[in-house]
Amino acid sequence: MDSTGAMGQVLSSKVAPVVENFLQGSVLDTSKDVLIHRLRGLCDNAENQPEIFHDHEIVFIMQGNPNQQPINFHARHSLMHPDAWHLRYLGVADIGDKNKLTLIRHCVDAGVSSNVVDFLNEMGFKIDFEFIAKGYFFHKGRMKVTVSKLYKILQPGSTDQVEPLSQSHLVELSVVAPRVQEQIGEDMKNFAEQLKPYILYKIELKLDHLQTV
Amino acid sequence: MQKEEKQLEQSLEGLIQRVQELKNAIQLFLLKLEHEYESLNWPSVLDNFALLSGQLNSLGRLLKNDKVPALRNHVFLPLVLSPDRDAELEKLTERRVMMFNHAVVPDYLRTKPEPEVEEKISQLTNKAGTVVQETAQKQFNNLNKITSNLLDIINSAKEEWESESNQKSSQPVTFSTADTNNLVSTILFGKSIKVTRKPDTSNTQSQGMSNQQQQQKVQSATVSKAPSAIKTQIKAASSSHPYQRP
Repeated sequence: MDSTGAMGQVLSSKVAPVVENFLQGSVLDTSKDVLIHRLRGLCDNAENQPEIFHDHEIVFIMQGNPNQQPINFHARHSLMHPDAWHLRYLGVADIGDKNKLTLIRHCVDAGVSSNVVDFLNEMGFKIDFEFIAKGYFFHKGRMKVTVSKLYKILQPGSTDQVEPLSQSHLVELSVVAPRVQEQIGEDMKNFAEQLKPYILYKIELKLDHLQTV
Repeated sequence: MQKEEKQLEQSLEGLIQRVQELKNAIQLFLLKLEHEYESLNWPSVLDNFALLSGQLNSLGRLLKNDKVPALRNHVFLPLVLSPDRDAELEKLTERRVMMFNHAVVPDYLRTKPEPEVEEKISQLTNKAGTVVQETAQKQFNNLNKITSNLLDIINSAKEEWESESNQKSSQPVTFSTADTNNLVSTILFGKSIKVTRKPDTSNTQSQGMSNQQQQQKVQSATVSKAPSAIKTQIKAASSSHPYQRP
């Protein structure tokens, strides 16, 4: 019953002590191509065409104790390879430390089978929201860079009828590491500097968002 | 009366000063042309011309000034003509005019153009008078057309230049902070895509309805799945689930 507590235990006992360093930003659609071009130059495998993805993400939520943050899971599957499912737990980003160069949150990643939706439902999770993300994927060493356009699903369940959410592409930089390392933040910051004229990196994510949605 | 005389004197002083400046500038320019013609480049020649034109402009402005009395109302009357050298005049004119005699006066105090010029002007006026009205109109129109075309071309070129330089000076907008905020809150909290639900009041009917919606969502999310017994179990499980939706 007390699954939030269980998750807390998992994290505190370092069963899966993985943290994600991440930076988020956006680029207007009109400037996207320039950014893609630059990323191709900056990231590995510059000679290849950038990898593309077209994913459907469903976010499940379970409110255990009303006094605690609800637990959520991000189930994502590719619409290009419908059987490839991926489940991700994301902790709340650590925003307390202003000295950190990136945002840091706990995360657990797992490849799962396609009946994960049923499984989560049986566990008592509810669908909180879902969206479509379509875009490009780059990597540089262990850093992952995605440039994606988010779409709103007009008809629940139908991934064909979608509507773009804004005039911008979301840009995410992420490095998953076993523990918090200063060096990673430094590297990511330097990388982000290279994209600076094109993107604004959001370093401070306000907790207010929780209240506004 | 006295006031007017004072004004005249002042404005004359101003005029003399301006003319003096103009003269100096021309002298300098001539000197440059004569002595530095080898190293002189076009931009600096243009600079000199600009200087001259500026000084001419300010002279013109001075003449048009309200405080300057209308000079044409004043008569300049030569009282004495003398064939002797005039030392004072020589000094004033920097040895250009030695004496104030019958030879120079008609040149310096001339109010009409030279006879040859006058003749030419009258010739041209006659010629203009003989042109047929229609032809004149035609030429008129042609000239106007050409001029306006030229103006158009110049203006469009100017606009092009200006917009180009504007583009260069201002960094194009490549991102929007509002979009960043929106997108980030979307992927994290489902902002603007979350289905707004009524606050949970343990109303069994609405609960059941939204459960059904939920069910539909789940079903369609797993499109390719073959219908099986699990589905009915989910229904049972989810509808009887103890947890309330936030």
